[in-house]
Amino acid sequence: METHTRFDVLVIGGGVVGCAILRELTRYRASVALIERNPDICEGTSKSNSAIIHTGFDAPPGSLEARLLADARDLWPSVIADLHIPYLQTGALMLALTPDDLLTIEHEIIPKAERNGVTLQPLTREEIVENAPYVNPEVLGGVLIEGEGVIDPFWTTRAYCESAVLNGATVFTGEDVTELRMAEDRVLVRTSGGRELAASLVINAAGLWSDEIARLAGDASFTIRPRKGQFVVVEEDHGVAQIILPVPNKISKGILVTPIVFGGVMLGPTAEDVDEKTDLATTIEGLRAIREGVRRYVPDVAEAESVRQFAGLRAVGSESDYIIRASTAGRRLLHVAGIRSTGLSASPAIGHYVGELVRAELELVKRADFQAELPEYLAETHPDEGDVICLCRSITRGEILAALRSPLPPGSLDGLKRRTGAMLGDCQGNLCLPQILDLFQQQLGRDPLALPKHQAQSCPVAARLAHTAGQEG
Amino acid sequence: MNTIDPSHVYRLAIVGAGLSALSALQAELDGEDTLLLDYQDGPGGFLRHAFATPGLEDLAAFVQATVLPDRLTTCFNSTAVGLLPAFAQGEPHMLVVRRSSGTIEVRAAQVLLACGGLELTRESAQIPGPRPAGVMTPVFAHQLLNRGYAPGRRIVVYGNSRYTQATAHRLALAGLSVTLVSPLDEPDPSLPVALSSAFTFLPPARLVALAGFPRLEEVTFERAGAAFTLAADALVYATGLRANTHWLKGSGLTFTAQGAVEVDARYQTSVPGVYAIGTAVSPSLDHEKSLAMGKEVALLLSGGAL
Repeated sequence: METHTRFDVLVIGGGVVGCAILRELTRYRASVALIERNPDICEGTSKSNSAIIHTGFDAPPGSLEARLLADARDLWPSVIADLHIPYLQTGALMLALTPDDLLTIEHEIIPKAERNGVTLQPLTREEIVENAPYVNPEVLGGVLIEGEGVIDPFWTTRAYCESAVLNGATVFTGEDVTELRMAEDRVLVRTSGGRELAASLVINAAGLWSDEIARLAGDASFTIRPRKGQFVVVEEDHGVAQIILPVPNKISKGILVTPIVFGGVMLGPTAEDVDEKTDLATTIEGLRAIREGVRRYVPDVAEAESVRQFAGLRAVGSESDYIIRASTAGRRLLHVAGIRSTGLSASPAIGHYVGELVRAELELVKRADFQAELPEYLAETHPDEGDVICLCRSITRGEILAALRSPLPPGSLDGLKRRTGAMLGDCQGNLCLPQILDLFQQQLGRDPLALPKHQAQSCPVAARLAHTAGQEG
Repeated sequence: MNTIDPSHVYRLAIVGAGLSALSALQAELDGEDTLLLDYQDGPGGFLRHAFATPGLEDLAAFVQATVLPDRLTTCFNSTAVGLLPAFAQGEPHMLVVRRSSGTIEVRAAQVLLACGGLELTRESAQIPGPRPAGVMTPVFAHQLLNRGYAPGRRIVVYGNSRYTQATAHRLALAGLSVTLVSPLDEPDPSLPVALSSAFTFLPPARLVALAGFPRLEEVTFERAGAAFTLAADALVYATGLRANTHWLKGSGLTFTAQGAVEVDARYQTSVPGVYAIGTAVSPSLDHEKSLAMGKEVALLLSGGAL
C-alpha cells in the first residue's frame, strides 16, 4: 500500500528560485508541492541581497546565466503586473573616477554589454552631475544602464509562492529533507517532520544547501560555497535616485549604493568567501569597507546613520555557470543550483526554463484555469482596523491582520515583517513586536512561546515566567 | 471624550500623552478646545509599560495621579502619521491621524509636539555580529514581562540610566539572571544599594560584538584594551533614546543632526504655531527634564512668560 503522499513534482527550497519554479509548474495539469526547512519562505539568500533586477549587462556572454537574464528582461513586466510587485526602474550609473576606469568602461564594459544585448549610454561628467547631483563631483564620466531597477525581493518571493498556492500548490514549511531515495518511477523523500513524500520529479532549489540535498541522493557532482555580502541600510535616501555602481576590478564588482523600493538606500555588499553556511555575522571590517567604498562615490551617504546592518550568503557553485541539469543519481532529480547572486533577477526565466524541462520530462499539458493575477490580499483590510501598530512605519492593525489572513500566512515574525514592512523602522520592532505576538495568537492561534523570529529555535519569548513578581496589574 | 470633529479647527492639538504633555496639562493648560492624541491605549508614554518597575514608582504615581482636564478631548489609539503646517498665517495646521475607524484630518491653530522618543537599538550603534533572537530594548522586555513572559534566562543589560537600572532590577525580580554593564565614557553610574544586590553589576565596558544564531549566545565587551565575553541568551540594549520624528519628515520642520525637533527658547519650532517639548526635542532618558519642559510650555501657551 502506498504510504507516501504523492506529487508529480516536489520543489525543495522556498527561496525566490524555488517559488518561481513552483508557480510556473502550476500552469500545468500536475500536482506540485514545495518544502522549505525554515518556518517561513524567503529566509535565505532571497531575503538578504541588494534587491536589484539586473539586466545581465555584465554576465558572462554565452552562459546560461546570461541567456536567462536576457529572457527575464522580457518576462518581468508581466510578472510585476500580475503579482503587483513594488518595482522602480531607477537605472544604474557606473561611475569612473580614474582614467583607467574610463578605459575599462570603453573597452570592457560596453562591448560585453553589447554581446549581452544591452545597450549602455555613455555619459559625460556634466551629464552625470546634472542627473545625479549627489555623486562625488570629481567623477570623470560613466555609463547609464537604463534597464536596471530595484524591486521588493520579499514581495516577489512571497507572491510567486502565494500565486502557486492559489493555483493549487501545496507548501510545507519548517521541515527539512532528511532522506532522498531514487526509486524506479519516483523519488521518495522523508522529512524531519516525519512526513513521507513521493514525487515523479524532485527539483533541488535548496540554494546554499543544494549540494547537501544532492548528496542525500548520492550525487557529489558539485559543491556550493557561501560568499558573504554585508549591507548597511540607511533610512534617509540622501537624494539617491539611481543605482550607483563602481567600475568593477578583477576582484569584485565593488560596493554599490542602491535605492530601496520602500524608502532609503542600501550600501554594499562586500564579497567574502566564508567557511560556514550559517555565518550571517556582520563584522567591523566589513562595515568599514562598505563605508569606505561608498565614500568615493556618494560621500554624503558614507557618513549616514544606519537603521540596520545585515549579511547574506550567495550560493557560489563549483561550476562556472548556473547548475541546471539532471542529477548524476538519476533524471528524476533536477538541480537548479549555483545561482550565486542573480537568482532574483533571473527568477521568471529560471521558472520558465525549468518549467519547460519538467513539461518535456513528464509530458505535462497546460491547464486552462491558471490564474496569473494575484488578488491583492494585503490591501484587504476590514473596518475598525485602521489603528497603527508599527509606529515607525505607520503600519496598521488591518495591514498586519491582512497578512495573517492571507493564503500563505507568515510562519515567523520576520515573515510578517517581509509581508507588511512592520518592524523595519527606527525601533526595529521593539515597540510593536509584543502587540504583533498578540495578533499572531488572536488570528492564527500561534503560541508566543513557539513563534520564531526567523529560523527554528529563535523565539523572542524565552519562557513563561515562573512567578508573577513585577507583572502589571 | 474621544470624538474628533474633522471640520473643527481646534485651538490646540497635542501629539503624545507622555510625561511632558501630562506635565503641561497638569500645569497651566486648561484643555479648552484642545485635542490630545496618542498612539498607545493610555497615558504615560512608553514608560507606561514599565510602571510595575521598582525605582520608577514616582513617575508611575505621577502619571496615575494626573487628572486630565474635563474639557480636554482625549484620543488614545490615535496616531499622528503626518503634519502639514499652515500655508499662511491664520490658516490651521493639519495632522493626519490614523485610528481604528480610519484615517482622518485634524485641524488646529496650534500644535504641541510631545511625541517622545524611540529607544536606540543595537543596530543604531552598528554593533557587529549576526541578528539572532534575544536582542532587544527595554520597551520590548517590559511588555513581555507584562504578559508573563521572560525575554531570556540569562540577560545582559547594557546602559546606565535610571531607567536602565530599573529595567535590570525588574528582570532580576522576575527570577531571571541579570548582569548590568554600563557603557564607557559616560558618567559613573551610582547605583542604590538596594538595587545592586538583585543583579550582578560590572564596571563600565564597551559593547563590541554579539555572537550566536538563531538565538543570542554571547556578548563581548572591551575594557582597557582587553576583551571579555559574557554568556547570555538575551541582551537588553538600553543606552538611550532618539527623537520619534520620522513621521514629521516632509513637514518642513527643521531638525538637529540627531533628528530631534529644533526649537527656540520658547519651544517654538521653525514653523510658527508648532511647538515641541520633551524627548522629541531633547532625546535623553532624563524624565525630570521632560516634566520641566511641559510646565514651561504650558505657561507660554496659556499666555504667560518664562
